[in-house]
Amino acid sequence: MTGEPIVSIRNVTKKVGRATIIDNLSFDVPQGEIFGFLGPNGAGKTTTIRMMVGLMSITKGEIKIKGKNISSEFEQAIRHVGAIVENPEMYKFLSGYHNLIHYARMIPGITKERIHEVVSLVRLENRIHDKVKKYSLGMRQRLGVAQALLHRPSLLILDEPTNGLDPAGIRELRDYLRFLTRTEGITVIVSSHLLSEMELMCDRVAVLNKGKLIDVKLIQDFIGSDHAAQNYLIEALPAEHALAAIRDIDGVKDAKPVPEGIEVVTERDRIPDILARLVRMNIQIYGVRAQRQSLEDRFLEMTGGEQIG
Amino acid sequence: MVNLILNENMKLYRRWRTWIMVAVMIAAVLIGSIVEWYYDNKDAQNGIAWQEQLKQEKQHNEKMVSDPEMDEESRQWFQEQITLANYRLEHNIRPESGTMWDGINGSAELVILITLFTVIVAGDSLAGEFTTGTIKLLLIRPASRLKILVSKYISMLMFGLLLLIILFIVSVLVNGLIYRFADMDLPLVTVDSAGEIVQRNMVANLWQTYLLNGVATIIFVTMAFMISSAFRSSAMAIGFSIFALFAGSIIVELFQAYKWSKYVLFANIDLSQYLAGRPYQEGMTLSFSITVLVVYFIVFNLVSWLVFTRRDVAS
Repeated sequence: MTGEPIVSIRNVTKKVGRATIIDNLSFDVPQGEIFGFLGPNGAGKTTTIRMMVGLMSITKGEIKIKGKNISSEFEQAIRHVGAIVENPEMYKFLSGYHNLIHYARMIPGITKERIHEVVSLVRLENRIHDKVKKYSLGMRQRLGVAQALLHRPSLLILDEPTNGLDPAGIRELRDYLRFLTRTEGITVIVSSHLLSEMELMCDRVAVLNKGKLIDVKLIQDFIGSDHAAQNYLIEALPAEHALAAIRDIDGVKDAKPVPEGIEVVTERDRIPDILARLVRMNIQIYGVRAQRQSLEDRFLEMTGGEQIG
Repeated sequence: MVNLILNENMKLYRRWRTWIMVAVMIAAVLIGSIVEWYYDNKDAQNGIAWQEQLKQEKQHNEKMVSDPEMDEESRQWFQEQITLANYRLEHNIRPESGTMWDGINGSAELVILITLFTVIVAGDSLAGEFTTGTIKLLLIRPASRLKILVSKYISMLMFGLLLLIILFIVSVLVNGLIYRFADMDLPLVTVDSAGEIVQRNMVANLWQTYLLNGVATIIFVTMAFMISSAFRSSAMAIGFSIFALFAGSIIVELFQAYKWSKYVLFANIDLSQYLAGRPYQEGMTLSFSITVLVVYFIVFNLVSWLVFTRRDVAS
């Protein structure tokens, strides 16, 4: 993260009728990162994104993109943004190419060469002159990425980008987003409820729930070495003896049998001692591994165990 | 702005639907003209020259005028017909009937088709973007919503004008070919509201008719736009506007007895009522109707603009 944040969200509130959809949201999105919006359905991810791109008005507070207010300086602010909001809905009766021409005309300085460049970037060269109605969902998604990148935006906003992509497509998109942030310094904002995807894709995650910001953290911090105690899985036989023995050892906070072996909560320092004791008791040890707490677990913890849609 | 209009035109003309409308209009002109020509031909087979026919008509009209039971309005009409016939015979100007102009002037009625098609296209142009969700990608570009609205509006008016030009060219060509372009320089002879004979250029008169009807087209398109931006549903916008187009004249007829009904849009939308000198209500003038139409026009546009630029896109 270098210099100014690319997006700054300050005290943003969105009310529709009497309902408060977004409640006093404030955070910054640093430049050059892949930033995730995470939250259950109805948390306000899409509403926040719609306010960022000017599709929805902001009841209170302000959103700035590259220092330009999205409400009062819309045209200057949106110039830096490429986005897909929910599904990439294109004109189905036009070809992919004419869709791109359509969006290219709306921003000055996009050449025919740039269009071809973007088309080959998303690998649609062979099908670009077909009508969009003949495209598969994955191809539409790629055309969506193409239109978002046409004008070399500094900020790419993708709402649920992995929807409808097969695993290979998701990996491709992920690698491509990484490539974009590294080579062109683009900042990417993605929203998703696919937590495992966010874990692999994002540098930093903002967790939203019920229109409020729960936390903004680097992904490493999330997954967490901040907790001294960690979970370890020990596979040992006979299991009952092992469990009884482990429970007696100092520094073991908890131990319980799980299908794969014994789950032990302890500090890292205690592991050699535990293993030594088990060996002395003639217990067969087949494996020991540290279990990192996944983003999903943390997330459930933070949002009070609510189901993630 | 030019690019935005190019975009709207691309979305319009790269659809089959648009060209089917153009084809239907051409077909309507062809069929109408040919049917008209067929019946004209039958009448003409009696082999009487137009002068003879006119004289016969004149005699009949003179008899009608001298009928003591004739009401004043009809008597005046018959009197006008006699004056016209005298003028025609004197200056050797034949009536349009049996010439290419009959068919061409008849085709001018098809302007209603242009209104219909333009309203359909306009209703779908804005609301359709909401229905299909394409509005989202359209509005996240550095172009204000106002510019997008105006570009759509201009593109629709251009479509209406295109249909008008096609109507003109096709009807002149078809009727010209049928009648081998005879009597091409025939002037229009009418009696104006003051009772004087006026002789005018036929083409100029035709375009006057087109443009007076075009005023109605513009108002209906503006209304379709307003409904589109308020309800965001193509079906609603198209349905409402077409209903208004056909039911409007019935509505004003129902309320003709009431003084306030002269402020109703549909009482003013047909400006050709002043050409004929028969306004909807006593005391209505061309400038009154134009003022009323301008007020409606501004209100409709204001509503579409306010609703379209302020409302959240949540679909």
